[in-house]
Amino acid sequence: MNAAACYFVNGMESETSAIARGLRRRDPDLLDRLIEQYQHRLLRYLVYLTSNRELAEDMFQETWIRVLERGHQYNPKYEFSTWLFSIARNLTVDYLRKKKPASLDGLLDAEEGVSLDPPDLRPSPLDLLAQHEQAERISAALVGIAAEYREAIVLRFQEGLALEEIAAVTGAPLGTIKSRLYRGLNALLPRLKGAQA
Amino acid sequence: MIRDSHQQAQELIACGGQDLSESQQAWLRTHLEGCASCREYAQSAEQFVRSLRSVPVVADLALVQTTQLRVRLRSRELLQRRQRMWLVWMSCVLVGLSVAITTPFLWRGWEWLAERAHVSTLVWQVGFMIFWLSPAVAASLLFLARGIHLTDTDGTTRG
Repeated sequence: MNAAACYFVNGMESETSAIARGLRRRDPDLLDRLIEQYQHRLLRYLVYLTSNRELAEDMFQETWIRVLERGHQYNPKYEFSTWLFSIARNLTVDYLRKKKPASLDGLLDAEEGVSLDPPDLRPSPLDLLAQHEQAERISAALVGIAAEYREAIVLRFQEGLALEEIAAVTGAPLGTIKSRLYRGLNALLPRLKGAQA
Repeated sequence: MIRDSHQQAQELIACGGQDLSESQQAWLRTHLEGCASCREYAQSAEQFVRSLRSVPVVADLALVQTTQLRVRLRSRELLQRRQRMWLVWMSCVLVGLSVAITTPFLWRGWEWLAERAHVSTLVWQVGFMIFWLSPAVAASLLFLARGIHLTDTDGTTRG
């Protein structure tokens, strides 16, 4: 490993170690800072995972409460965002299981076409019309594909997580993640083309 | 070109560039140079990623502030619970110590009283056991009656 890479890895480790220490102490200032730092990424993930803004906001709050309660379980060897997303995912899956007797994956099986409300993305009123339309087109296309594909695509392409990190968040093997990305993209691209036409 | 190579190329595109090895990237580049359909697929994927990243999904300030407030309240609640638990543990330790120190003296006291009162050994020993255990039994019953004071305020299992 070269010097720059060493510096980067050590820097990341010291940051995650500081987070782990703060979480063990249940430091409220650290949690405030983390909430602010990860607010958009976490909410975006939850909005796409649940396809429901209100539910996503509820899960957002519950996720941070769970982070506070289980902070001692965070392993600083891993990125904080990976752990955060996996907590959010588990809470959402548990909630959906209680609501409907099936897992997230089972509920939203790929080609069954389970109807979902498009996510309310609440774009700023100042957004350009074109951007608004594009956002709606993307959201509609994403909602139309299976939740596990959507989740993999959002984590990979929007949140920029590595394949291994997505596997850690979802608890699925790496091969499954690759397959979900491939199938998800294959399901998505024709929908986007169709919407553009 | 056989169909498998197209599928392989599209799988590599779907995984995203950064996670590919150098040899995979080189193979993909070569394949894309000679395959219009996969090139189109790659361009569509790239365009989709750009569009996805431009979608504005942002958290409201109110949501963030509410979350921060809830987290702080819960943090305070957990701290109070920890302090209560500390008190309970300290009480247990003190009671244990006190029992260990005083029991031999009490035992001798009861023995002496029983001799004076001409009570049989079995009777005074049973009496001593009842006397000795009753505070712990009473405290346990009290804790059971109060029920959930050591669990969360909303009665759910957390943590």
